[in-house]
Amino acid sequence: MHLTQELEVYSDHKVTQLLFKDVKNAAELRQSAVEGKISGALISPTLVLNPFQVLVAANKAVHLQKIGKMKTRSLFSEIIFNLSPTNNISEAFKRFGISDGDSSVLVVLVHNKGNTPPLSDIVSRVNGQQVPVDDLSSLSDTAKIKKFFKITPQEEKIGTLLDAVVCRMAIKDVL
Amino acid sequence: EVNMSVERSMEVSQLLAKAELLKQGAEARLYRTRFLGKPVIVKERFSKRYRHPALDEKLTHRRTVQELRAILRCRKAGIPAPAVYFVDHSTHCIFLEEIVDSCTVRDHIASTQQQPRGPEQLERLAEKIGQMLAQMHDEDLIHGDLTTSNMLLKHTVDGAESQLLLIDFGLSYISALAEDKGVDLYVLEKAFLSTHPNTEVLFERLLRSYTKASKKSEPVIKKLDEVRLRGRKRSMVG
Ligand SMILES: Nc1ncnc2c1ncn2[C@@H]1O[C@H](COP(=O)(O)O)[C@@H](O)[C@H]1O
Repeated sequence: MHLTQELEVYSDHKVTQLLFKDVKNAAELRQSAVEGKISGALISPTLVLNPFQVLVAANKAVHLQKIGKMKTRSLFSEIIFNLSPTNNISEAFKRFGISDGDSSVLVVLVHNKGNTPPLSDIVSRVNGQQVPVDDLSSLSDTAKIKKFFKITPQEEKIGTLLDAVVCRMAIKDVL
Repeated sequence: EVNMSVERSMEVSQLLAKAELLKQGAEARLYRTRFLGKPVIVKERFSKRYRHPALDEKLTHRRTVQELRAILRCRKAGIPAPAVYFVDHSTHCIFLEEIVDSCTVRDHIASTQQQPRGPEQLERLAEKIGQMLAQMHDEDLIHGDLTTSNMLLKHTVDGAESQLLLIDFGLSYISALAEDKGVDLYVLEKAFLSTHPNTEVLFERLLRSYTKASKKSEPVIKKLDEVRLRGRKRSMVG
């Protein structure tokens, strides 16, 4: 159900994504992350189209951590910040981090190649139904994504929505 | 200001050492590899040893930034260009979507010219190039290095018309001046006619299509004529 992908650039790192719907304890989960009981990024899937989008954000976060240029205080907050098309940190958290009332959540873990991530611990903490990560698109809102990422109709004609979104995430620092 | 104390990413260099080198240019190397499960082209700008290190770092960074902005500007305007997946400013690397099943317009023209129905096919392509460049110039984007090698044709599976894409925006910039657009076209004309012999009529077709598609073509073509004349005078003197 979960999805694990190696970061080819940082080949000793892997990223694991777990997706849950019908979540009843988002507030509690958020608190657990704040207290460090969950070592992962808790993401609201509304503006997340595809697991690739999360991988791009995670790869960039690991990269900036390695070269000492993160814009936020932790790897997990950096992943959330990198998902956003703008350089406004508080807006990124509001849009891409989970809120207390959320009913779906995407958990993103970063771990070393040899280590197994604490999947059962995460699953046991979430009061909700785990679903395949590829179901992301059914939990996200394409219209909201187009609006928030300011995707033009011309741009949609020449490529995928995913490429349009990821391109903005990758370039936002120099705009 | 570029911070010289920033660490360079060893990992990106290690990945490229294992990747397939596609091209060694004067300013950059192109590699093919995989990134997050997808095929990508990595463009790595390297330093020029004869330049002062701090100045070199600054110029290389600026080129990278110009290229990234131009790609996004093109895509937003509906001009196809490869998507960007990752940028490492510490080693000046851009990770681009690989346009699979594609060839350069240069190779396409060379192989099609010989075929029996080639000329007709190329006329259609020249028109498409003209339209694309008109659209780009109407966005006030100057490519700076237009050649038929910097255009890709992506073949489609369902037999539909192939997609035309622009690449290599390292010298691009924003300008509304007809002079800059005229020079952009002049650079292409020189490259086009020297790469592809006997294509004067084909290039004329490209320009006609540009003129028709652009809302601001009149002063641009006038400038192109001026620049051509200057070029001719210079070659007569020299
Ligand atoms: N994004 C891309 N996708 C596929 N091929 C590319 C891409 N960028 C460059 N190339 C190829 O690499 C070669 C050199 O590119 P360039 O130096 O940008 O002219 C060209 O002949 C292209 O076929």
